[in-house]
Amino acid sequence: MTIKVKVGDEVKEGDVVLTLETMKMENPIKASRSGKVREIKVQPGRFVNVGDPLIVIE
Amino acid sequence: MSLVDKFKELEEFREKSKLGGGQEAIEKQHRAGKLTARERIEKLLDPGSFVEIDSFVVHRCYDFGMEKRRVLGDAVVTGYGTINGRKVFVYAQDFTYIGGSLGEMHAKKITKVQDMALKAGVPIIGLNDSGGARIQEGINSLAGYGEIFYRNVMASGVIPQIIAIMGPCAGGAVYSPALADFIIMVRKTSYMFITGPKVVKAAIGEDVTFESLGGADAHAKLSGVAHFAVDNDEECINLIKKLLSYLPSNNMDDPPIVETGDPPDRMDEELNEMVPADPKKPYDVRDIINRVFDRGTFFEVHAQFAPNAVVGFARLNGRSVGVIANQPMVYAGCLDIDSSDKIARFVRTCDAFNIPLVTFVDVPGYLPGTKQEHGGVIRHGAKVIFAYSEATVPKLTVILRKAYGGGYIAMCSKHLGADFVFAWPTAEIAVMGPEGAIEIIHKNELMKAKTPEELKEITDRLVAEYRSKFANPYVAANMGYVDAVIMPKETRPMLIKTLEAMSTKREIQPRPPKRHANIPV
Repeated sequence: MTIKVKVGDEVKEGDVVLTLETMKMENPIKASRSGKVREIKVQPGRFVNVGDPLIVIE
Repeated sequence: MSLVDKFKELEEFREKSKLGGGQEAIEKQHRAGKLTARERIEKLLDPGSFVEIDSFVVHRCYDFGMEKRRVLGDAVVTGYGTINGRKVFVYAQDFTYIGGSLGEMHAKKITKVQDMALKAGVPIIGLNDSGGARIQEGINSLAGYGEIFYRNVMASGVIPQIIAIMGPCAGGAVYSPALADFIIMVRKTSYMFITGPKVVKAAIGEDVTFESLGGADAHAKLSGVAHFAVDNDEECINLIKKLLSYLPSNNMDDPPIVETGDPPDRMDEELNEMVPADPKKPYDVRDIINRVFDRGTFFEVHAQFAPNAVVGFARLNGRSVGVIANQPMVYAGCLDIDSSDKIARFVRTCDAFNIPLVTFVDVPGYLPGTKQEHGGVIRHGAKVIFAYSEATVPKLTVILRKAYGGGYIAMCSKHLGADFVFAWPTAEIAVMGPEGAIEIIHKNELMKAKTPEELKEITDRLVAEYRSKFANPYVAANMGYVDAVIMPKETRPMLIKTLEAMSTKREIQPRPPKRHANIPV
């Protein structure tokens, strides 16, 4: 997993905010809406489950 | 009684039979956002083509005051007509009379059209909207369900059976749709379950709503029971018509050929750019499907269920084909329990109805983990191999990128009887992925590494070596396991030519006689 933004960044809907690796595939995760990154809830190398919040955008 | 009176009597009966549960109940049905059984049939069939059967049938129950509640037609409208000029049999349950409940005579009306459809060799369409078994009629209701199920099974693989759930469908009633070929559910007004929220609460203490337990999305997404979820009755009926356009009338017939106006020799340059050379980069396989097949003809089935695989109908130069693909965008396109079920079921549906198969492969393998292993990924995965091996329709395969290990074999490889296997230059056909393979082959060399940096350096070198030597389409093409390596843009014309060549396909080797094969269900 690579995180492409940091807290405070402005992101636009559709921007790639992180890549998530499953089955050796690097899936780009896009911002669902525009806003400012308030919190990053994940770290590279950690496992996440379906439905887990990854990045909070306000 | 004079002749005039006799004719008038018939007229009166006819008028009466059209009312179902009466005007008030009809209005209630409309307020619930639902059309009535007759309105649904009217919208489904070509104007004026409907011929009704058994409109004067009534139940013969004398218990619980039922003798006073007798309505012509017994809560189901049955008959036949045409859809775009093609004959179909149809039944629509009428929720306005005793909740569309199914008793002895109601069931007899349904089994009569089931028998007629099978004899005529034309599709049957059921529009279900029923509270379930008519309790007042006791075990005669159960007998009715049993008779319907038996006919569903007898007709399976002979005529297409499409069932729309347009209201409640609970308990035993769910099994007739489950035995059919396709289920369509209407959001918010329909649900299917074996036991409802009340019993669920009483039996295991679980709180659940009708919608979350057995609504259209629950079944289209999670259970896979529904092939399609739609927003309303109108959408449901239009979808049935579209679905039917890809299917033949019966197993001895071919699906209709439709002039699509898309040139068979069209080459799409953009296809060359679709698959990233980097095997770690995902893409949407539907972008490829939409460019290869006749424009606008791809019709996805089970779109929400197991999205790591994509299945659906499309047209190649007007001919109906079944498309199966791994979806690299979801779980890297791996096979798992649900996607195996989805693929196997679709392959068998196509094979039963003379619809050739076109498979697109980009599969890293099977999803690992205890959830999968303990859930039986072995026996579910086996269904894919079974279904492809058993299928005798033309089978064409295009390997886009990864085709590793068991996944390679299962996805309609040459070894399972594919008639033609194409590979793109991006194909990586190998016994397993480079990283895994070198760990086994070069175990000793890797153990020599003293530092993590050194290990990485050796690994990278060996992976690159393996990749250039084995992760390509040419080793398989040298063996004849791949018939041709083609440019992505050539895919459409090549598939059309090959399909043309195989359109008269007959399995030459007779298969051994048997009662029936034993698919690992």
